[in-house]
Amino acid sequence: QQVSGTVSDKTSGQGIPGVLVLVKGTTTGAVTDIDGKFNINARSSDTLSFSSTGFTTVEEYVGNRTQITVSMDAAVLELGEMVVTALGIRKESKKLGYATTTVGGEALTENRSPNFMNTLQGKVAGVNISGLGTGPAGTSKIRIRGQSSISGQNNPLIVVNGVPIDNTNFGTNPGNAAADNSIGVRGGGNTSDGGDGLSSINPDDIESMTILKGATAAALYGSRAKDGVIMITTKTRGKSKGIGVSFNSNYTNETPLDFTDYQYEYGQGENGVRPTAPNPTSGQWSFGEKFQPGMTQVLFDGVTVPYEPQFDRVRNFFQNGSNLTNTISLAAATDKGGFNLSFANMDNQGIISNNKFNRKTVNLGFAYDLSSKLSFTGNVNYSNEYNQNPPNIANQDNSIPTALYNLANSMPLSLLDEKKYDAAGNEFVYSRFRNRTNPYWTIAEQFQNIRRDRLFGNLALKYNLTPWLFVQGRIGQDYWSRDQDFNNFPTGHASIAAAPAGFENGTYTQESRRFRETNMDLLISGSRTFGKFGIDFNVGGNQMYRRSDLNSVLVNDFVVRDLYTVMNGRVKDPIYGLSERAVNSVYGSAEFSYKSFLYLNVTARNDWFSTLSEENRSISYPSVSGSYVFSESFGTLPKWLKFGKLRAAYAEVGSDTDVAPYANNLFYGINANLYPNPAGAAQPVGGSQGNTLPNAGLRPMRATEAEIGLELRMFDNRVSLDAAVYQKTTNDQIVSAQISDASGFTNTLINSGKSRNNGVEMLLNLVPIKSSNFRWDLSFNGSYNITKVLSLLTDTPGERITVGTHVFNGELRQVVGQEMGQIYGFGYRRDAQGRQIFGGNGIPLRTTDLISFGSALPKWVGGINNGFVYKNLSVSFLIDFKLGNMMLSGTNFNAYRHGLHKATLQGRAEGGVVGVGVNDKGETNTVKANVQPYWEVVRSLALIEPVVYNGGYWKLRQITAGYDFGKHLPANSAIKGLKLSFVANNVLMLKKWVDNIDPETFGYSSDNLIGMESTGLPSTRSLGFNLNVQF
Amino acid sequence: TSINPVFSLNNAVINASFVSTIVQNEIGIVQQMVSPNSGVLTGANFNQDNRDGTSQNWIRYYRTVIRFSVDVLESTKDQPTRSNLYNMARIWKAHAMMVMTDSYGDVPYTEAGKGYSEQVLLPKYDTQQAIYNDIIKELTEATAALDAAKTVETADVLYGGNIALWKKLGNSLLLRAGMRLSKVDAALAQSTVQKAVQGALMEVNADNCVIRHDANYTNQVGNMLNATEANNFYLAAPFANHLKNTNDPRLGSIAVRYVGAKSGPEQNAARANIDPAVQIGMPFGFDNSGIVGEAAKAGLASFYDYSQVDRTRMVKNTAPMFLVTAAQTQLLLAEAIQRGWATGSAEQAYQKGIRLHMEQMALYDARSAIAGSAIDAYIAANPYDATKAREQINTQYWIASFLNGPEAFANFRRSGFPVLTPNPFPGKAIKGNFINRLTYPNSEISVNKANVDAAIARQGADDLDTKVWWDK
Repeated sequence: QQVSGTVSDKTSGQGIPGVLVLVKGTTTGAVTDIDGKFNINARSSDTLSFSSTGFTTVEEYVGNRTQITVSMDAAVLELGEMVVTALGIRKESKKLGYATTTVGGEALTENRSPNFMNTLQGKVAGVNISGLGTGPAGTSKIRIRGQSSISGQNNPLIVVNGVPIDNTNFGTNPGNAAADNSIGVRGGGNTSDGGDGLSSINPDDIESMTILKGATAAALYGSRAKDGVIMITTKTRGKSKGIGVSFNSNYTNETPLDFTDYQYEYGQGENGVRPTAPNPTSGQWSFGEKFQPGMTQVLFDGVTVPYEPQFDRVRNFFQNGSNLTNTISLAAATDKGGFNLSFANMDNQGIISNNKFNRKTVNLGFAYDLSSKLSFTGNVNYSNEYNQNPPNIANQDNSIPTALYNLANSMPLSLLDEKKYDAAGNEFVYSRFRNRTNPYWTIAEQFQNIRRDRLFGNLALKYNLTPWLFVQGRIGQDYWSRDQDFNNFPTGHASIAAAPAGFENGTYTQESRRFRETNMDLLISGSRTFGKFGIDFNVGGNQMYRRSDLNSVLVNDFVVRDLYTVMNGRVKDPIYGLSERAVNSVYGSAEFSYKSFLYLNVTARNDWFSTLSEENRSISYPSVSGSYVFSESFGTLPKWLKFGKLRAAYAEVGSDTDVAPYANNLFYGINANLYPNPAGAAQPVGGSQGNTLPNAGLRPMRATEAEIGLELRMFDNRVSLDAAVYQKTTNDQIVSAQISDASGFTNTLINSGKSRNNGVEMLLNLVPIKSSNFRWDLSFNGSYNITKVLSLLTDTPGERITVGTHVFNGELRQVVGQEMGQIYGFGYRRDAQGRQIFGGNGIPLRTTDLISFGSALPKWVGGINNGFVYKNLSVSFLIDFKLGNMMLSGTNFNAYRHGLHKATLQGRAEGGVVGVGVNDKGETNTVKANVQPYWEVVRSLALIEPVVYNGGYWKLRQITAGYDFGKHLPANSAIKGLKLSFVANNVLMLKKWVDNIDPETFGYSSDNLIGMESTGLPSTRSLGFNLNVQF
Repeated sequence: TSINPVFSLNNAVINASFVSTIVQNEIGIVQQMVSPNSGVLTGANFNQDNRDGTSQNWIRYYRTVIRFSVDVLESTKDQPTRSNLYNMARIWKAHAMMVMTDSYGDVPYTEAGKGYSEQVLLPKYDTQQAIYNDIIKELTEATAALDAAKTVETADVLYGGNIALWKKLGNSLLLRAGMRLSKVDAALAQSTVQKAVQGALMEVNADNCVIRHDANYTNQVGNMLNATEANNFYLAAPFANHLKNTNDPRLGSIAVRYVGAKSGPEQNAARANIDPAVQIGMPFGFDNSGIVGEAAKAGLASFYDYSQVDRTRMVKNTAPMFLVTAAQTQLLLAEAIQRGWATGSAEQAYQKGIRLHMEQMALYDARSAIAGSAIDAYIAANPYDATKAREQINTQYWIASFLNGPEAFANFRRSGFPVLTPNPFPGKAIKGNFINRLTYPNSEISVNKANVDAAIARQGADDLDTKVWWDK
């Protein structure tokens, strides 16, 4: 019989076009017209199914009707109804009692950066991501809901397809007084950022990413998830039946940005004198004479050249970088399963000519149903990475950016390039500062190769015992080997001593590391409904085992010049290191539901940590969360309210992440080399190891987090809001506290710190304009977080520990009663009336103790995204911000002491500075101090006050413009989809407060050095395109 | 498993070699070396406080020498079979603590190095007086308790476990400690010296307490002077002139001048001249702009033309570092005799001290060796003068302690000799004529403030002017 009817929207009452109407169990179907009307042939025993994106599917039994009127409910969630939660369990978003954010693959691929996490900067509420200005393969620092650990790790756990992977970071962090597991480099001379674990992932392989922000979301992941989880789901099968091929190509060009605003009135020289003889040339000092036409200077090579300013050195020294990624994927799907296989190559050229990064990845994901009961899924990711010459950064010595940013302002770059070698082929010394190595010489002579092979993946087997109960076993492994070799000090480096006769000086290190983490887990999961009540439950266990080892040989002096091998070395220092750790866990969760609007979820977990003593190693912790979809619990809702949900959660997580293996014992070791006794016989040298005082009584730390959230969708989904308020208290922290050197150690681990994060985060989406051809999406995400230190050893206000020191001066402290991450250092000494006090020599005096300059942690982080879609053209731009943080700028520290900062012009014309203030007797200061020593107090007295700044910024982060050619393609074309986008990243600095640098270019990945800026590579603006073709 | 604690003592011994910042601080204060450059090299050259530099010996000594010594003490105190090792560590710790307290005044002592054994994270500071009282007790007891009949620690790198030599070190240190108190407590000084001279003292250079450096364990001062600061430190005029004016053959052992050098790189082997006659020391009072004119006045090509301490001989990076020597000991003995605190001939001890130090030159480098005839000639030309004995002895002590900055600095403060002209550099940060102590590390002010404050309340402000107890 012929059946006709109308399908309408339950809320608006209007007809819905394009609804698929199917006779259930057949391929007979029809589609509704523009008014929502349809016609179809069906028998009276048939059932019709009505489905459309964005609406809940409705089924109607035909019976004897010829007219059927159907009204459809808007689906609860228009995008991504299902969310991947802990352990890889998919859940309906509305059931969740905690905050999550899901990001689709496209957000990571279209407008990308080499480390894909950096792409998300400013896009996710409550998530603070920082690239560090360390080069293409550099570390990405991610903080979810602020920092909670007083002196340890704050990294979220990275989980790929349900199994954790390693994210060890190889950033060097000189001055880090505490424990955050970053791995440094032996032998000195190397302060490059060796990258992290995320850089092994090709964003094209990511299907979606879910960020679990709170402890509740992470409760089932336990110890390492105290700071949230980033869950990455990679592609495992094609989207449609048959074989699909897609090709994606992404190219960006990176332009280095120069933010320096130095003085160019007085040129190089010291104490007001320009160089008139080859030496002393200042090289790194600009305390010379006022530039006058016709003046000359004699530089280090003895040649007379004009004494004139040299501008634009940042732009002239650094070149444009580039990034090219090509990915080809093959995907297939059948009724039983499918696979996704991709190959990708990424070539990155850094802004320093010899810095290159290549990554080849192969990713295979697959799923197959062996029977209706037994199925398996798996994925394997292989990456081969070759990072060449990541530059040294953020250190005083032997660092290209430091030497360049402090170069005397009348030193021509061309001269440094031409005259980098002296007659003997060694570094031509251009400054009395012999460790400010000529950057051209560094590029020519210093090398570093980091090669990593990495294989990670997992295999899961699932068996459905009954339709409502399954058991799943899974094994995952992350294995990498990393070979690194570098000449810490190339032969001829001006800062090192000559070798004995017959040898060439220099230092070379060769390291080989292996890492393996295995995770085995078993999960029993069931789901039942009893009338209006439902229950889902999971019970499982996990065994984690991690082993890493290291072979390293450091050699000094060479037999044959320019041959950097271990055998060629004269003095050899080998080491081997091995560490293991394991965590065993059992856990369970249960979720109770009432109708489709009330959900309650409880979890419990117990961990046993190998790093802690037997009596302290077990910890159990619970979580409870609830969700109330009030829009579904009432019959009548205001018309404007489409969806409303209230959620609440409370969770505890225990952790040992800040305890390195074997931290609870004192260990003794024997030095690699013997030492001669008076008779010349070699004798062993040894002793207790390490600068951290061991503590056998350490207990696991415990984080407790409570959150309340609200989700609303209103006005036809044109306004939607997701907001959360949370409080997270981290107790029994394992704090690495600096202690007196006179104890014999530099720091110790104590179990005592307590901190509290309070924050609000929200995501507001607006659709101000929506018409058939045009749509404007406005999205704002913002978070406010403040973390206070509640106790250290005791809860006495003012009690403090030092967790990191700047490589120059100043330090980072945690102080009871204050915000976390206080920058401390010496300031100008002032009297009771606030007048600055000067010494008898007219030079500023410093405060008697270190004083606080405020917290280095941002309070406000967020972004505003505007998206416009007109037909097939889409354009978006993102503005992001970080506000409320202080920073200590090492670049400006050097700019002051070397006479480049504009402030150092004060007193130059007068032949000296008469500081405004008083002497120590309270009389007005009249003593004229020489300009150079006046500013050198930043170094000699560690007086940092002039170089502490507000570290916040507003940036136009991204512009993306894409055109989808898909609709222009003929229906029978071999090409099924084609999209081309133009992308721009780090487009414009809208507002900053720090002089001479981009406040984002920090060299350190460590949280114990936040706010401690030291010159890194300049940030870059990237422009490029992304081409995606589907076959 | 466990390691033999003597290996830890070896570690303490090797690490007692001083850090490179003694060149800009202690060696500069006694006017033996100077740099015209500011910034990191600021220190005695400008009479200014450079906290980064003043803290380096503190950090090295407490983190290594004292930590490892205390560790040896803890692990051997109840082991009668290792009593020699126990007593060697007591002597070694006493020496380290003298260096610390002489430099800074009140310092952590009783609680120092006990981070692990007693979980003392923030040790209290003891008064210098209390520290010296205990050092004297420790040296006396430990030296007496050393016994060649018990286990001999042959793996010891300082003396190969030789008990006689360790006893000489103990007695010589006791003599040093006693003499240090001559100004503040003459009675205690005398009684201590009398105890010391009852035993055997260092008499030959083979008795010296020396850290022998090699390719793996290098001399930090030598490292710096051959690397980053190779062209930045010079032999200071007061020291060079004294040697020159007295025709001291040691000038030829110590100095080199790169004649005509106009730049750092021009300080090459072809220009190197070690003839004492051509040596010209760099005067105090100039920064690197002022020194340009001063060098021109002296007829030099540039400031790179001033004499340096020879980086290929005395301060090569494998050069030994002498901590306690027979020469120093004999000179202290000469003063003790002169004061009537010991018997013997002051003149003989004085001359023996000079001779020993001149002979010691060969131990730095064969090319620094001084011929016996030259030594005899010098001694003959510079006879002992009983009326100027203190000045003569302590001026020789100044020379004999060259490159041992902390000891030269301490003895200069105690004895007041040699008579030096205050550094005329304008813009000094001190109120007096000379720097009287080094300032505490920033890290101590940062983490151990209560104890630092207590020390400051007792001894005076944490600046370069405050005098330590025995200097009052």
